[in-house]
Parts: sequence; structure tokens; C-alpha cells
Amino acid sequence: MNLPAWSEQFDRDRLRAVPSTLPPVITREWAWAGATGAGVRVAVVDSGVDASHPAVGHVEGAVIVEHDPDSPSHVRFVEGEHGDVFGHGTACAGIIRSIAPECELFSIRVLGGRLTGKGHVFAAGLRWALEHEMNVVNMSLSTGKQDYFGLFHEIADAAYFRNVMLVCAINNVPGPSYPSEYASVFSVAAHVDKDPLHFDYNPEPPVEFGAPGVSLDVAWLDQGRLTASGNSFAAPHIAGIVALTLSKHPRLTTFEMKTVLAALADNRTANDRAG
Amino acid sequence: MSPRRDPVTTLAQLAADLGVSFLPAGHRELLGTITEAARRLFEAQACSIALLTEDGAELEFITAAGAGADAVTEMRIPAGQGIAGWVVMSGQAIAVDDVAADPRFAATVAEATGYVPRSILAMPLETSRRVLGVIEVLDRAEHRAATNRDMELLGVFAAQAALAIESSTVFNSLGRFLLEAWAGASKDEDLAALLRRHASTAPPPRKHMAEIAALFYELGQSSAPERRLAVRVLRELLAYTRDRREGDGE
Repeated sequence: MNLPAWSEQFDRDRLRAVPSTLPPVITREWAWAGATGAGVRVAVVDSGVDASHPAVGHVEGAVIVEHDPDSPSHVRFVEGEHGDVFGHGTACAGIIRSIAPECELFSIRVLGGRLTGKGHVFAAGLRWALEHEMNVVNMSLSTGKQDYFGLFHEIADAAYFRNVMLVCAINNVPGPSYPSEYASVFSVAAHVDKDPLHFDYNPEPPVEFGAPGVSLDVAWLDQGRLTASGNSFAAPHIAGIVALTLSKHPRLTTFEMKTVLAALADNRTANDRAG
Repeated sequence: MSPRRDPVTTLAQLAADLGVSFLPAGHRELLGTITEAARRLFEAQACSIALLTEDGAELEFITAAGAGADAVTEMRIPAGQGIAGWVVMSGQAIAVDDVAADPRFAATVAEATGYVPRSILAMPLETSRRVLGVIEVLDRAEHRAATNRDMELLGVFAAQAALAIESSTVFNSLGRFLLEAWAGASKDEDLAALLRRHASTAPPPRKHMAEIAALFYELGQSSAPERRLAVRVLRELLAYTRDRREGDGE
């Protein structure tokens, strides 16, 4: 029987040297100057992405996750190009692309069709993202259903340990919101500023970051655009900034990335914030 | 003689029949008040509440206030499309300032109601058990403050409406609810599984029982002499039916 021996890795003769990832002073120049998002895999878990929309250009991969009562897992995966059912996934992809133009976008479509088994479909979509080695996952969706608390917690923790950064929109309805309220995710709400790189940090969780999400001009169905508001448009701004930073500093862990964002937030007082 | 039924099914049927007679009065009226209050607060053209159908495939508008209210009430739209559809599926609120920019959605709405809003603010109605539906505010006054403040405000109405809907749902299917609650509290895995199976096939309240419960509620509102008269009539009716049963040799 293998007993966990967590202390072993701290034995003097086994202890690994870890390269330093954060500079003494974190600046925006250090974080993303010259970065494009290249090499970073970003998944949009939503209603699908219209890859032909000019705001998106192309996607590297796409999968539809659907409820399937005949399958033992109750879900099925259909890989390959697909459209956007509602327009929202395309809006998120467009925002991420505008911030991290060379990131590799993946669409994981979990919304559409019926609501049956929605929680399991959503969870399966997140697992697909983990298995396909996404670096950043944008989720503009949440559930307050108590039954899913444990399931999503497990996946969010697995993502955290693998450095898959989950960026979640928190909901506006009073009451619980999973997985956006977990400590392991980047939880985002909307603020009124329009500058895509303007974000704020809130030291009183659950919601940790504020980003543009009010009256934004976003990509939508049929190659169109519309003006929309919601926390679900704030999340992809943070996802884009995380992708940008990760393309320049691929070794950053999830908690280091949160440290970077907290240090660079616009509401940091001038003395603390450099760059 | 009716075949003997197992005690769990009997309990479920009893609870189902009882539940409707306890249904809080004025549930529809309360939802109507919520939509009208929200419409006035946001100085909006209209406000409506749509609930998911049992199979989750459609949204049915159950109450509306303001422009197009009559046309939209009882209207059904597929849950898999449009702004309201995205809201119930994602659990997220959204506001769209130029609805006409989503031509597919605008066409569906216009066809059904004859009224195409410029703007929509939509928010899910959700409890810790499930997603119930969506509340929508159409064409808020343009001078109003930032949309995210209005969203927070609508959240309060949404929570209120969700509570009202959830409590009436519990009364409407008290049999199923009791069995689920019992299963949840049971430490015996086999018993819990059995109860859940029963819950999934629990009978709805019998139609006439619901009607009788509604009549009793109405009688409760009438004057004392009217209630005394009703009691006398009911006693006579029961005595008559009892005589008839005995006459049939049962």
C-alpha cells in the first residue's frame, strides 16, 4: 500500500530548485509588453463560437457536449466545427481575441438544446478542457443548484492543481453561484469602464476582479454586433489578460497569476502600483 | 374494492391531494404585482416572467405587465434560442441595448407579440434546487443609471419571484416533494433509492381535489351566513351520496 508521503519532497537531498517566476516589482511592462497570447490555449465554454465572424477569425478546435441518456456517462462529445446557438460564445471569443490576438481559441459548446442534464453537460465540458490541456478557460455561466456544488468543486480544484486557469462570471442574483464562488477560480463582475485593459481588484471575495461589462459593442450572430451588458462580458476580458500574460510567462501558476492581476489592478494605489 | 396500494404510494397520493388545498392564495396575483412593480421602478414599457415547461424544452410566459402583455401571456418560446433562452441556460443576467441587432430574435418576438423592444434586461429565476425561468424588463427609461445597477436591483425582484414560484410548486406536488425530502433525510441507502423511485412516479393531485380546494378557499372569503349555508348543503349532499352507495349494496 502506498502511503502518501508529502514530506518526502521536502527532504534536503530531494528538494527541487524552482526557477523564480515573479520579479521584485510587478509591472504591466513586465507582464505583457510585446505579448500576443501566442501559444496559449483558451477555451470558451458557452453557446458555441462562430469561427467565421470577423471578430474571431478562426478557432483551433471545437466540440459540442450534449446530454445523451443512452451513454453511461449521460453525455456525448461531437468534435468538429459548429456554429453559435445564441451569439454569446462568439461575443466572448471576440473579446478574448481582441486582447490576446494570437491565442489559440477552442469552443466547447455546452449551451443549447434542452436544459436536461445541464449540470453534467457543463461538468463534462470542463473535463474536456482539462483533458485537452487548455491553459485558460472562460466560463460565462454558473449554477446555484446545490446538487452540483461538490461536482464543480472537484473539477475546479483539479484545474487549479494543473494550472488550468478558470475565469468565471459571477451572477447578479442573490444566492450561491458555482463555480464562480470558489477560491480556485478567477471570479469576475462587470464595471462601467470601457478600456479593455482596465481591471480592478476586490480584496473582499467571492468576486475578486472587475472588468468592462456595461454597454459593450460585442460580436453576435450572423456576422453582426450588438450592445450588451453583463458580468458574462467582463469574464472574457480577464481571460484575455491572463492569456496575454501567460504567453509571455508560461510558467506562472494559478495563484501567481492572481498575484500578478492583484498587483496590476487599476485600483491599486499609485504607491503600490508600478508601470 | 380497489386493489390495496402500498403505503408509500397512498401517502404520496394523500400528500398530493392535501398540498393543493394548502396552496397559498394569490400566488398568481403576487407574481403580477412583482412584474408591475418592476415595470414601474425601471420606468419600463413592459415586464414579464416566463417559466420553463416540465421537460425543459420551452419557456412559457405566465405573467406580464405593460406593452404587449396580453399577447405575450401564455405564449411559449423554445428554451434553446434567443436572449431569454441563453439566460436560463447560463444562469447569467444579460442586458441588450439594441435588440433589433439580433435579427433572428427580434423577428420571433415581433411575430408573436407585435411589439419589438429596443432593449431587454433579462435575469434567471433560480433556487438552490433548480432553474425556474426568467424575468425580463423591456425598454427601461433611457435616463436610468448604469445597467449593472439595474441588474442588481432586478436581482431582488428575481429572488422574490423565484421564492413565490418555488413555494407554489411545492404545494402543487407535495407528494413528490415529501418523498424526496424523506429520501434526502434517510440514512438507509436502499430505502432512499426506493423513495426516490416512488417520488419520480408520484401522482399529481387529483383534478377534482384541486377544484374542491379552490372552492373551499372561495367559501372562506364569504360571509358567515353563506358559510353556514354551504355547510348545510354539503352535509345534505354527503348524506344523499352515502344513501345511494348503501342502496347499491356496497
